Amino acid sequence: MPDSTPVRVVRELARRGYNAERDAVTLIADSPDPDAAVERVVDDAGDDALTLTAADVRDALGDGPRTSARSADAASTDGGATARAPETGGDADDAARRGSTREPAANDDERGGASDANALDTPARGGTTRNGDHADPMDQVDATGRADATSTGRDGRSPTPPEVAGDVTGHSTGAGEYGDFVTVFRDRYERLSKKLRGRVNHRPTEALDAMPDGSDAAIVGMVNDVRSTASGHWLVELEDTNGTFPALIMKDRDWADVVDELLLDEVIAIEGTLADDGGILFADSVHFPDVPRTYRPSTADRHVQAALVSDVHVGSQEFAGDRWDAFADWLHAPEADAVEYLLIGGDMVEGVGVYPDQDEELDIVDVYEQYRAFSERLKDVPGDMEIIMIPGNHDAVRLAEPQPGFDENLRDIMSAHDARIVGNPATVTVEGVDVLMYHGVSLDEVIAEHGDESVSYDAPHNAMAQLLKKRHVAPQYGGRMRVAPEEKDYLVIDDIPDVFHTGHVHKLGIGAYHNVTLINSGSWQEQTAFQQSVNIDPDVGTAPILDLDTLDVTVRKF
Amino acid sequence: MRPVDDAYFEGLESQLDEAFDVAEAAKTRGEDPVPAVEIPVARDMADRVENILGIEGVAERVRELEGEMGREEAALALVEDFVEGTVGDYDTRAGKIEGAVRTAVALLTEGVVAAPIEGIDRVELLQNGDGTEFVNVYYAGPIRSAGGTAQALSVLVADYARSLLGIEQYAARDDEVERYAEEVSLYDDETGLQYSPKDEETKFIAEHMPIMLDGEATGDEEVSGFRDLERVDTNSARGGMCLVLAEGIALKAPKIQRYTRQLDEVEWPWLQDLIDGTYYDDHGDATGDDADGDAADADAAEGTETDDDDDASDPDGPPRVDSAGKYLRDLIAGRPVFGHPSEVGGFRLRYGRARNHGFATAGVHPATMHVVDDFLATGTQIKTERPGKAGGVVPVDSIEGPTVKLANGDVRRIDDPAEALEVQNGVVEILDLGEYLVNYGEFVENNHPLAPAGWTVEWWEQAFAAAGADVQALRDSPYVDLADPDAEQALSWASEYDAPLHPKYTYTWHDLDLDDLCALAEAIDGAAVQDDTLQIPRTDGARRALERLLVEHAQGEATLAVDDWRPLARTLGFDDDLERDWTSDDFGAAVREWPNAMKAVEAVAPFAVQERAPTRIGNRMGRPEKSESRDLSPAVHTLFPIGEAGGPQRSFREAADYTPDMRAEQGLVDVQLGERVCPDCGERTYKSRCGACGAWTDPHYECADCGVVARPDESGRVECPRCERELDNVERQTVDVRSAYREALQAVGERENAYDILKGVKGLTSTEKIPEPIEKGVLRAKHGVTTFKDGTVRYDMTDLPVTSVRPAELDVSVEQFRELGYDTDIEGRPLTHDDQLVELRVQDIVLPDGAAEHMLKTADFVDDLLSEYYGMDPFYEVEERDDLVGELVFGMAPHTSAAVVGRVVGFTSAAVGYAHPYFHAAKRRNCDGDEDCVMLLMDGLLNFSKSYLPDKRGGQMDAPLVMSSRIDPSEIDDEAHNMDVVEHYPLEFYEATREMADPEDVDITIAEESLGTDEEYTGFRHTHDTTDIALGPDLSAYKTLGSMMEKMDAQLELARKLRAVDETDVAERVIEGHFLPDLIGNLRAFSRQETRCLDCGEKYRRMPLSGDCRECGGRVNLTVHEGSVNKYMDTALQVAEEYDCREYTKQRLEVLEASLESVFEDDHNKQSGIADFM
Repeated sequence: MPDSTPVRVVRELARRGYNAERDAVTLIADSPDPDAAVERVVDDAGDDALTLTAADVRDALGDGPRTSARSADAASTDGGATARAPETGGDADDAARRGSTREPAANDDERGGASDANALDTPARGGTTRNGDHADPMDQVDATGRADATSTGRDGRSPTPPEVAGDVTGHSTGAGEYGDFVTVFRDRYERLSKKLRGRVNHRPTEALDAMPDGSDAAIVGMVNDVRSTASGHWLVELEDTNGTFPALIMKDRDWADVVDELLLDEVIAIEGTLADDGGILFADSVHFPDVPRTYRPSTADRHVQAALVSDVHVGSQEFAGDRWDAFADWLHAPEADAVEYLLIGGDMVEGVGVYPDQDEELDIVDVYEQYRAFSERLKDVPGDMEIIMIPGNHDAVRLAEPQPGFDENLRDIMSAHDARIVGNPATVTVEGVDVLMYHGVSLDEVIAEHGDESVSYDAPHNAMAQLLKKRHVAPQYGGRMRVAPEEKDYLVIDDIPDVFHTGHVHKLGIGAYHNVTLINSGSWQEQTAFQQSVNIDPDVGTAPILDLDTLDVTVRKF
Repeated sequence: MRPVDDAYFEGLESQLDEAFDVAEAAKTRGEDPVPAVEIPVARDMADRVENILGIEGVAERVRELEGEMGREEAALALVEDFVEGTVGDYDTRAGKIEGAVRTAVALLTEGVVAAPIEGIDRVELLQNGDGTEFVNVYYAGPIRSAGGTAQALSVLVADYARSLLGIEQYAARDDEVERYAEEVSLYDDETGLQYSPKDEETKFIAEHMPIMLDGEATGDEEVSGFRDLERVDTNSARGGMCLVLAEGIALKAPKIQRYTRQLDEVEWPWLQDLIDGTYYDDHGDATGDDADGDAADADAAEGTETDDDDDASDPDGPPRVDSAGKYLRDLIAGRPVFGHPSEVGGFRLRYGRARNHGFATAGVHPATMHVVDDFLATGTQIKTERPGKAGGVVPVDSIEGPTVKLANGDVRRIDDPAEALEVQNGVVEILDLGEYLVNYGEFVENNHPLAPAGWTVEWWEQAFAAAGADVQALRDSPYVDLADPDAEQALSWASEYDAPLHPKYTYTWHDLDLDDLCALAEAIDGAAVQDDTLQIPRTDGARRALERLLVEHAQGEATLAVDDWRPLARTLGFDDDLERDWTSDDFGAAVREWPNAMKAVEAVAPFAVQERAPTRIGNRMGRPEKSESRDLSPAVHTLFPIGEAGGPQRSFREAADYTPDMRAEQGLVDVQLGERVCPDCGERTYKSRCGACGAWTDPHYECADCGVVARPDESGRVECPRCERELDNVERQTVDVRSAYREALQAVGERENAYDILKGVKGLTSTEKIPEPIEKGVLRAKHGVTTFKDGTVRYDMTDLPVTSVRPAELDVSVEQFRELGYDTDIEGRPLTHDDQLVELRVQDIVLPDGAAEHMLKTADFVDDLLSEYYGMDPFYEVEERDDLVGELVFGMAPHTSAAVVGRVVGFTSAAVGYAHPYFHAAKRRNCDGDEDCVMLLMDGLLNFSKSYLPDKRGGQMDAPLVMSSRIDPSEIDDEAHNMDVVEHYPLEFYEATREMADPEDVDITIAEESLGTDEEYTGFRHTHDTTDIALGPDLSAYKTLGSMMEKMDAQLELARKLRAVDETDVAERVIEGHFLPDLIGNLRAFSRQETRCLDCGEKYRRMPLSGDCRECGGRVNLTVHEGSVNKYMDTALQVAEEYDCREYTKQRLEVLEASLESVFEDDHNKQSGIADFM
């Protein structure tokens, strides 16, 4: 076992069918010859033992006196958080095979120093904590591990299982009929128009014609069409459940560039004056459902963190396995003790048939093997963390949104780390903080359609802010977005989340919109030939770490 | 020109003049847009160029220059004329450049294609960053039809004009350079380019291009990286620009360089780097390596590397061409593969030109056509491995047919189509597809190294003569058939003259490996001769060897019986007592290491043995042959607009009864029409002729804002002099369709029951929106013909060449042929029998049966039109199709704007249009499955009008803007000149093929050599005859089978039978290329579909919130339903399973199936589901 990191110890133990306490692992990893240590510990362990405790290790290694003070303590607090043992012989073989092929890279002690610990600081909302420690995480493991051995024990992670809302998984009732589509759009209109009706005095479109010319009026409607007139003004056609009505936005209004933000099929309100000859509303103001500026997010009542990642793309030739290893190693380090949750925003694997001739660029051509390999990667994540994941457009679920979570077959494959699998989008509540997880396919469209340069691939959080403002994760129908009609519109952002988490564009973006924290994770896939051809330089190996008690974000780069 | 040719053309032209006079007279009587024939006659290319461009004086100058220099040089010389203003009347510098560029493209395309008018939108002057001006050429999609060379030269011409006018060079901005690269690659992915430049190459060109290449957006897909650039007004791919850059500049760099060197004013030093590929140096080596890596990957991905590749590079193997699998790309469901690349059992290359053979055609034995389940028919297009990319199949029965294995185990070669039909259902395996005749010129045209020739009679005869035999004496002997000797004779010739064994008894030893050979020899050791039949013990090894050797045999209980066995035994070193004096231990290293058994055969045979079929050619079906009338969709009888009033059928009867509500008068329909005014009496009308005084009307342009009446300027644009806005004369008018219809019926003396339905159009697409007289539609409907967008009646068919014909096969008599001016046969003997071969004249064409029938109907229509509408005498008066012989037609290809006059000389049951290769070339067609149309001469003269042509990009294409009355061989597409015209290929040729020599290094006469001489219209000899030019099935099974599923089943079934085809690969490609895209595309379409009102047809981008139609309150429904999304799912899964496709493919289908379920099934209704799991 040339690599002495705890990960490898856990893997070796797991291969032999044992779970181990964190401290037990640390002890083995710190021993002069971890290989031999593992052997000895395993030999000593009783036949009925499943979880090796620190005490077991000390007994086996014969250095009990030095650390005996804390063994009982650790055993009692760590009880609930254990790495799962592999369930089948096949998995264990896989782990072993993979372990051995990766040895050369893992053996390179120097690799972390310069690049891996290069903590990237991206302040959100001014007060982001700075990760001052630039030391190699690996060294830290060793150092703190040793320190632990002599100091008082640490508490293990104790995440509470998240609550999930707005998840279509298991409730996909649409049968692809016309009525289903109508239901979805009506539901969207009804829920979002409620948020606007308090602010304007809505008149149904059919009532407008009957109103006296020149009177003030307002419409809450779904954007049906936006086009420019011959003289450069903008004609926005709004639709409600009765019909449509056009509103004219004059180009010389100083707020006229709001038109650049409009997406078809979002719900907005327009206030204005009816034209003298009726039939059109001259707009004076435009309102979005929006998030109130006064919104105050909820926070956790203890210091606990969540890592928000996405776009792992296991199976791609460009999958950044080394970076993921470094990330997983870091999660085992004491520095990451507070990181109790891992949220994965879709694209676990590279998938099959996502684009033509994809097989030529796949490292793992078999999609089930891809998920197995991903599952192996999940095993590297400390067993006492809570993992929540949604699918993305590369995953083997339907592309049309809302996407249900993985089916049973894939869940079985990924059962190793008891991750919580939900649909895309879904709101997960961790420690009282509502995190809206959405993979982010609509970001492409928002970026393409939005007139302003500030909304770009270099600042995906600005595109996310647009979605919050519209209170819908993917408003525009008919373009790149694919919609599966369901009994309601799962894509409406009904309740304001505390954190909005997306991925998909492979660019890091951290920001805030009306006090909602925006996080677009980067990816774990190096630049692909396609990205190169279209001039996208992805952020690879970035893990935004969210303080759930303060909602501050620190970005770790691996 | 020979006097006989002169007489021929004079005859055609006088016939044309006669028709012209009739048409001109008629046109002054009716209500056509213009009272004259609108297709000008061009006698030569200069005329055509001027007519197409509409720039006066060009023709004269072109004729002057043509005498002195080549066409390319003339194009450059004309630039100076344009710049100086001696040609063309342009005020602006941009206009001068535009004129020069258009003229250059017209010249280089022989004034036939629409590229000069449709492919170049405009030239404009824009500003560089430093304020200097540069030239921007704005291309459009139809520039494609100009071809790479003309595209490239258009850029050079623009640059030359630029430098003469003292305008600065274009300095591309960095983002523009990047944009070019992204865009070209996007276009390549979307539409496909013949040549795909690497990004580095595109950028290099963009950086150095002295003028800006710009153009119209042609696709929907947008670039994602370099968007919204200041000087590029679209984010979509500009197709015309991409073509010019990639297929023009990048691909034709060496050709442009030849001309830049001649011009002092133009310096393109960077071309050398482009040609050498040294532009990578600027960017470091890594990029170059990457690119190479990609290329290698791409090759590997084709999955077609075969052993042959290795052999070719291996000095210890026979000469072989590399296999190439490109033709298998984009395989289509239902169109079978006949052979994988260079695979044993595929077509065997034989050199020669049959009389129905020319450029881009492949001669196949008619028995083969039947054996492949009738999928091949005369004219079926095949995509082929070599020498070109595609070709039309022609039947040639003087080559060898297929070898098949029957259900009873017998192996037979089938050289008779009738026999093929008999055994068709009993074939279990097609061991060999037979020979594949390709002419030498094809290799010249494609610049393809000669592939090793098969051992054939024509080669053997010459080798035999070279060995000292008196071949001429043998040929004259009544007791000897050189092509079909008996075994004894063949063996004695081989031993007596030290010449290789006759091909009839030479088997494909090179397809055996040494073990097979030894296995066969061992089996023969135990064989016996009974009734002069060799009974070989039936071992697997022997059977396999005989099947691979293509030795005909019968399979018994315990034996394999070979009839004509002596040459086989002798070749294997056996004597007639079946004794041999060798064992496998005798073989030395040279024999053992040889990749096949050929060296062993050479060692044991008592005479020389040649490689029978060293070159196998893979191919697959492309398009089926075509022979059908050209109808607009939906079919239209007259170009008269009736809006929605005619219902979905656009029926005049319905429109005549139409009322918007109960109170309104019937038949009043609002449509967009051009407003016209009578110059004499001032009457306003939409008609082309004044109802009051009969004068021809002019379009009336009135500014809607200020009421000013304007006139068009020289370029045809109309602008309001006061408001400066562009005007048209179109306005919404109410037409009394009811009375117009009734009057039309009356005018031609017809009643409504003369036809089932008379169909108009919804609206007109032309600039001036001038309608066609309804009378023409009435008569078309009566005679069952429909009109194309330009007013003509057309019939489409696949082009095939033929240089000599027999009157008998064309279903015409010798007398008729003599009346047509054919006096002698191909040998110069008087024409007396209808089975004599006659050399076809260049503008004579053969109509398929369907076309003849259609032409008869058209002729009846034209006669009725002349007598009932124009009040003239009928012109054709045809009773039966024989009456069509000698009549003139127009040949006209899509993408072109010039028609060629042709003469009907006969008919064929094949569903193709056979004509002289020069006739096709004059239309700028080759015969690789291209199709084009014929029109009856008088129909074109009477009914064509430019005024009907759509006012949109490409609207001028496929319209006879000009006609060529005679073909000048020097002015046609020069690929036709590469056709060989000899009766024999020399011995040196066959020997050179084994060295894979360059085709130019072999001396065989091609048509080019007679250009400009008296003999240029004659002397097209062939090496192979065929009994009839319409053998094999008349229609491909692809057309006779019903559903797509039936076709695909047949395709896969055939793949199983063909030895040369890997059926798994076919299944894989069908799934990947057809089912998966269909499923994915439909699923995508489903989840972002439009909806439509079932009652009024109104379309909605998104489902209305009201649920019902906002226009009529009717029911709205989806346009893409579950049924259309998953219709292929089960079949695809089944095929993947049955043909053992790879996991990747199966998994893609599984994932899609799960997606379909997820979208279309209610979780709550499932027996068990994720809900249970949660």
